[in-house]
Amino acid sequence: MSPGPLLLVAFLGLTAGTAGCRRMRFWLVATLTGCASGLAAGAWALIAGPVWDWEPGVALGGQSVHLRLDAISAFFLVLLALLGGAGSLYASEYWADRAHPASAPPGRVWWNALLGFMALVLMSANGLHFLMAWELFAVCAYFLITRERHKREVRAAGWLYLAASHTGTLCLFAFFTSLASRTGSWELGPLRDRPDLAPLFWLALFGFGVKAGLFPLHVWLPSAHANAPSHVSAILSGVAIKMGIYGLVRFSGWLPVPEAGGWVVAGLGVASAVLGVAFALGQHDLKRLLAYHSVENIGIILIGLGFALIAAARGDAAWGCLALAGGLLHVWNHGLFKGLLFLGAGSVLHATGTREMSQLGGLWRAMPRTALLFGLGAAAISGLPPLNGFVSEWLVYLGLFEAASSRGPAAWAAVPAAILLGMTGALALACFVKVCGVVFLGLPRSAAAQRAHECGPSMRAAMMLLAAACVAIGLAPVLFWPLVIRTVAAWRPEWNAAAPSVPLTTLGIVHVALALMAALAVAVLGWLVRRNGLARAVTWDCGYAAPSARMQYTAGSFAGIITGWFAWILRPRTHAQPVVGLFPKRASLDQHTPETVLEDVVEPAGSMVMRLSTAVRRLQHGRMSAYILYLLAGVAALALLAVWGGAR
Amino acid sequence: MTDTVNLFIGLAMGLNLMALASSRIPSIIRIEAAQGMVLGVLPLLLEGEPSALVIAVAAAVVGVKGFLIPSLLRRAMRAAHIDREAAPRLGFVPSLLLGAAATVGALALGLALPLMPEHARLLLVPGSFATIICGLILLMSRTKAITQVCGFLMLENGIYLFGLLLLGSTPLLVEAGILLDLTVAVFVIGIIVDRIQRSFDSLDTRMLTELRE
Repeated sequence: MSPGPLLLVAFLGLTAGTAGCRRMRFWLVATLTGCASGLAAGAWALIAGPVWDWEPGVALGGQSVHLRLDAISAFFLVLLALLGGAGSLYASEYWADRAHPASAPPGRVWWNALLGFMALVLMSANGLHFLMAWELFAVCAYFLITRERHKREVRAAGWLYLAASHTGTLCLFAFFTSLASRTGSWELGPLRDRPDLAPLFWLALFGFGVKAGLFPLHVWLPSAHANAPSHVSAILSGVAIKMGIYGLVRFSGWLPVPEAGGWVVAGLGVASAVLGVAFALGQHDLKRLLAYHSVENIGIILIGLGFALIAAARGDAAWGCLALAGGLLHVWNHGLFKGLLFLGAGSVLHATGTREMSQLGGLWRAMPRTALLFGLGAAAISGLPPLNGFVSEWLVYLGLFEAASSRGPAAWAAVPAAILLGMTGALALACFVKVCGVVFLGLPRSAAAQRAHECGPSMRAAMMLLAAACVAIGLAPVLFWPLVIRTVAAWRPEWNAAAPSVPLTTLGIVHVALALMAALAVAVLGWLVRRNGLARAVTWDCGYAAPSARMQYTAGSFAGIITGWFAWILRPRTHAQPVVGLFPKRASLDQHTPETVLEDVVEPAGSMVMRLSTAVRRLQHGRMSAYILYLLAGVAALALLAVWGGAR
Repeated sequence: MTDTVNLFIGLAMGLNLMALASSRIPSIIRIEAAQGMVLGVLPLLLEGEPSALVIAVAAAVVGVKGFLIPSLLRRAMRAAHIDREAAPRLGFVPSLLLGAAATVGALALGLALPLMPEHARLLLVPGSFATIICGLILLMSRTKAITQVCGFLMLENGIYLFGLLLLGSTPLLVEAGILLDLTVAVFVIGIIVDRIQRSFDSLDTRMLTELRE
C-alpha cells in the first residue's frame, strides 16, 4: 500500500470538480472527495509510510516527471487538504451561485486548480516542474483574489499581489537555474556536502520570503487577504503563504545554509512577529487586521526555523529540534486558527456586508455560533491555553529557553527573542480582545450590523471542522508530536536520535483539566442564570443618562495607547477637527494606519524608477539625426572598448 | 600599385570633407558622383589582371553612382526648387572639423586593428571608417531631405569600400543586388521628396517626427 492510489483519487476528484464546476453539488462532492483522499495520503505518508517516489517516465518540458512525498511534503499536504476541504464546504454557501452567478463557477475552477498546483509544488522533485507549479498556483490565486474585479480596490490588490509574487518568482528562477547549472541537473534532492551552494540560500530567502510575507516583503499581503473572498483569504493565509515556509524548510534542509542564514531568518522572524502585530493593532478593517496577524505568525514560525538553523550550524540538536518542531507545529496551528478566523470574518461580512469594524458591534446576539467559533479562534491565535496556539508557541519557548541555557552567542540572542515573542503574544491578545469586543460585544454601530443574521449550516460546518482541529491539537498534543518529530527528522536525518523528551502528556492533561474547569464554570453559570434569571440594568454612564451606540469604544480608541507606542513605524494619519470653545461646532476625528513599507519605501522607489524611465523616454523623440548620433556614440564606445580590450 | 590605390582612397576621403564643407546641394551631388566614380575604379586597381566580371562590376558602379543616381537627385532637386542647405543643424566649419577629427580617428583605429598582412598597408579600412562616419555626420547635421540622401550615399560608399576587402569572395549577384537596391532607394526617395515638398512646402526633415512610436 502506498499513497499513490489515494493521490490519484485526489487528482481525479479535483479534475472532476473542475469539469463539473457548473453544478455546485457535484463540484462539492468531487472536491471534498479529492481533499479527503489528499488528507489520507498525506496522513499515511506522515504516520507510517516510507518516502513515496514516483517516476512515470513521462517528460514535461524536457524533464522527466518526478514526484516525491516525504514527511515534510506530507506535513504541508495534510494542512492543504484539510483547509482545502473546509474552504470548499464554506464556499458552497458563501460564494453561492445565487449571489454570484457570473463569478462562482469560474471561481470553483480556479479554486480546484489552486489546490492541485499547491499539491504539485509540495511533491515536485524537479526544479523546473517546481517552478511551473509555483507560477501556476500564483496565477490561480490572482484570479481568486480578483473575483470581485468590478471594485477598484480589488483590482489594485490583485495587481499588487501579482507584481510582488512575480518579484519573488524572479528570484526563484535565479535560484533554481543557478542550482541546476551548478549541479548539472534539475533534479532536487539532498546536497548538504556542497558548500559552494550555500550563497543560493539568500535567493531562496527572498523568493520564498515574498510569498511567506515576512516583514519587509509583506507589502502585498494585507490588501490581497482583505479583498479576496473569505474562503480564499483563508486558504491564502492558511496554506499559500506556508508554501514560502515550505520552500525555506525544504531547501534549508537539502542545501547547505550560510553561517549567517539562521541569524537573519531569526531576526526577520522577530521583526515580523512584533511589527506584524503592531500593524494589526492599527487596523480598522477586520480582514486586513487578520492579514497582519498572518505576518505576525509567519514571524513566530521563522523564529523557530531560524533558531533551528543556528542550532544546526552549531551542532546543538536538542534545542534546535524543539525550535523547529514548534515552528512546524505552528504552521499547522496558524493554518487552522487563521482559516477559522477568516471564515468567521467572512460570515460577518456575509451577514452585514462590511468589513469596517466601526460599522459593526453587538453581533453575538444575531450570530452566536459564529461569535463563539470566532472567539475560539481568537483565543487560539492569542496563544491561550488550552488551545493549539499555546502548544506550538510553548515548544518555541522551550527551544529558546534551552538555547538561552547553552553557551555562546545563541544564548544571548535567545533571551531577547523570547522576550519579544512574549510581547508579541501579549499584543496579539490585546488585538483580539479589541476585535471580539468591537465586533461581537456592545451595541450595533450601524443598521447593517442590526440586520445581521447567523450564517448557514455549510459555513458553520466548515468553521466547526477547523475549530475541532484546533481543540484536538490543544487537548491532545502528544498525539501529534510523533508527526512533527518525523518531519524534523526528515529535515535533519542526524537529529532523529536526538529527539528531546517533552512533557506533552502533562501539558495535555493540564489542558484537559483547564477545559473541564472552563466547561464546569460555564455549566454552573448557566445553571445560576437559569435559576435566578438575568436582570438587565443600564451601563455605568458617568451620570449621562442617554448613552448611544456611538459612544462605545471604537477599534481605534481601544488600541490607541498601544498604537501610540509604535507610531514611529505605523505612522498613523490623523485628520482631526477638535472640540473647541464652550459651544463647540461640529468636530471630527479620522485616523488611518497606512501600509508604511508600501507607501514610504516601495512606492517612492517605484515612482523614482518611473521618473528615471520617463526621462530616458525623452531620448525617443523622432528626430532621425539624433538617432544617428546615438548610433555613432554607441559604435564609438564599442570601438574604444575594443581598442582598450586589445591593449590589455 | 598600393600607392595608386591609396591615392584613390585618399581622394575619396578628401571628397568626404569637401561634401561636409559645401553648402550648395548641386555641388554635394557632384562630389558624391565623383566619389562614386573614384571608388568604382578601385576594383580594377586592386586586381592585378581584372577578370571580365570585375570589369563589369566596376563599369556598373561607375555608371550608376557617377551618372544615374546624380541625375535622379538633380531631377528631385529641380522638382523641389531647392538648391541650398539653408539652415544646417551643425555649421559647415564645425562639421568639417568633426569630419577631419573622424578621419584622423579612423586612421588611428586602422592602426590599432589586427588586419591581414595584405591589407595592412592599404587605406581601405581607415578610408571606409572615415567615409562611414562622415556620411553619418552629414546625415546628422543637415536638414534637407536631398542632403540626407547624399549622406546615405556616402555611408553606402564607406560600406562598399569595406566590402572591397572581400573583393575576391563577394559574388557578383550581391554586388549587383546592392547596386540595384541603392538605385531603387534613390529613385523612391526622389519621388518622396517631391511629395513632401508638395504636401508641406518644405523639405525640412526636422518636422518629420510624427511616426516615432
